[in-house]
Amino acid sequence: MYGWTGNILRIDLTTKTFKKEPFSEEFAKKWVGGRGFALKILWDELKPGIDPLGPENKFIVALGPIAGIPAPNTGKAVVAAKSPITGGYGDGNIGTRVAEHLRKAGYDVLIVEGKASSPTYIYIEDDKVDFLPADEVWGKGTYATNDWIYAKYGKGVGVLNIGQGGENMVLYAMVRSLEGRAGGRPGMGAVMGSKKLKAIVVKGTKTIPVADPGQMKAIGTGDLKKVGAIDKQTGWSIQGTNGVLAWCNEVAALPVRNFRKTQHPDAWKIDGERLNAARIATYGCPNCTMRCGIAIRDHEGRESELDYENIGLLGANLEIFDLDQVASLNYLCDDYGIDTMSTGCVLSFYADAIEHGATTGDFRFGDAERAKQLLGIAARREGELGNLLADGSLRMARRFGHGSEAYAMQVKGLELAAYNCKFIPGMALAFGTSPIGAHHREAWIITFELKQTSRESYGREKAAKVVELQRIRGGLFEFMVACRFPWIELGWDLKNYPIYFNKATGLDWTLDDFWKVGDRIYALMKFFWAREIPDWDRTRDYPPMVWFDPANADKEGPIAGKFLELDKYNELLDHFYDIRGWDKRGIPTKKTAASLGLDKEAGEVQKYTKLE
Amino acid sequence: MKITIKLIGPFIYAAGFSEKEFEAPRSATVESLFGLVGIEKDRPKIVTRNGKAVGPVDELQDGDRVVISPLYSGG
Repeated sequence: MYGWTGNILRIDLTTKTFKKEPFSEEFAKKWVGGRGFALKILWDELKPGIDPLGPENKFIVALGPIAGIPAPNTGKAVVAAKSPITGGYGDGNIGTRVAEHLRKAGYDVLIVEGKASSPTYIYIEDDKVDFLPADEVWGKGTYATNDWIYAKYGKGVGVLNIGQGGENMVLYAMVRSLEGRAGGRPGMGAVMGSKKLKAIVVKGTKTIPVADPGQMKAIGTGDLKKVGAIDKQTGWSIQGTNGVLAWCNEVAALPVRNFRKTQHPDAWKIDGERLNAARIATYGCPNCTMRCGIAIRDHEGRESELDYENIGLLGANLEIFDLDQVASLNYLCDDYGIDTMSTGCVLSFYADAIEHGATTGDFRFGDAERAKQLLGIAARREGELGNLLADGSLRMARRFGHGSEAYAMQVKGLELAAYNCKFIPGMALAFGTSPIGAHHREAWIITFELKQTSRESYGREKAAKVVELQRIRGGLFEFMVACRFPWIELGWDLKNYPIYFNKATGLDWTLDDFWKVGDRIYALMKFFWAREIPDWDRTRDYPPMVWFDPANADKEGPIAGKFLELDKYNELLDHFYDIRGWDKRGIPTKKTAASLGLDKEAGEVQKYTKLE
Repeated sequence: MKITIKLIGPFIYAAGFSEKEFEAPRSATVESLFGLVGIEKDRPKIVTRNGKAVGPVDELQDGDRVVISPLYSGG
């Protein structure tokens, strides 16, 4: 086998043992890597109903067949587990040197099982695995932990670590790497924390097996340069992802005041121009030539690396329009190791619930200093309030009652990304059908909706576009494990990816082969849900209900008086299910399962719920 | 007639301004603005007027606010 190392490293924290397990070529071809590998392993090895924060959950790091190979933006890893915030399959994609080092150590997958008896970190160097005490940094943030590891092993090693948020099992705790990188929004950091696993450190020195190493290197390094040249020519990374903030504000898609509003006159104060002007450094993932991490000084003078999602949700959505204060909130989230996006939504929901009388409290929109205190209280799970905020907006709403669940801005328990879809039906569908909870990673169709269709339309073409983008974004880029930015932001041709894959593996695949793998993964993610929740129904694929409320419509601006219509959204959902070959509940049919080679998995699901 | 042009992201640095009011002849079209701001006609972009997408041959009206943006893809 080429491309893949062909090995899984299985580590048991309870017994402090490890073993190397080969996987078959059939497994490799069926699931390719990254999200595919992680999902299939969790499906096979987790019993439904297990506690995501119990020792029976498994934390997985999974890589793709081009990870660590010089090709555009391949310095990424998938981190996965059963999600504590959604209860379904959860994962995230993180820029990290672990991608290259783990592959060079001889593994495509790392499975961490059990639970350590005391704070631990794992050091992996090729065939060796050490279980080491992490008491010295338990209770410390991700920056101090990272520095502590670098002081021991040097800056070249791969590191995944958690902060106090993960240790305290905040349900939206992240995994962190390379100081500025984060991944695993659906609580992957909490799963590490539940295992008392503070960090994973990896050093690999072997050669990754590549079918055509000469051509792979020539094409890969050449393409890295080309991507960098396109970025320079177009100027994309001048503002990076935050260029979109001003546009969202213009077209009424910005989340403001817990998504109650779609525009704000002060949005310019936190836009891409201001971010670029305040820049003190630029960061990126390994193997990247279009670096998007723009660092500025925060209100306390610390370096804080920002992107649009952070600024949209910790800034506009909280009505905090001081960029340095937004940077402070971002810094604190990063140091505690909690998701900036969920934190923004949790705090905005809290302020909104207070304002609407669903609960009482002293937090108001625009109060940056109190927001800083509250996110620390959440990360440390301090008292009743800390535990409330640490459990995410859906659980908060269920405690508050008073109809507040309608404006808890989440899907399946996971909070939204920074796009306000109160009148963008297709993007609302993208959030609703995202299999890990609301995430823009799976599909993003706002430009398509505005430019290629009517914003008012609920037509089949929008459902088809969501499926197409899920195949690419949540499929190809998650099982190959590469950053999607060269393609989505610079127009780098998707046809390049089968070339990289074929040079690495020696196979002869086309994009059509990739789409089938993507569809298989989406079907199994839905089976994962159906096995966990046998009475699954389509309402779990709905966006937040406040978007269907006429009283929530904008009073002025481009979408004044407009709101989503539930019967039409259901028609859009029917189109989506029909294109995917899923039933009216949103579960793949037996026929669809068979066409994707999932008969065995369909048989397993039928122990819990009947398939059509 | 007066048209306000708002540029987004990298277009700002190509044109040298972020937002500016222009005097345009009556019946000017959307694409006639591209030359004014130094953006190639064939460069992928989305243009909105008062928050709604418009095509290159759509005619402008006095007081329009036109936003010209590259095609963002949601990070």
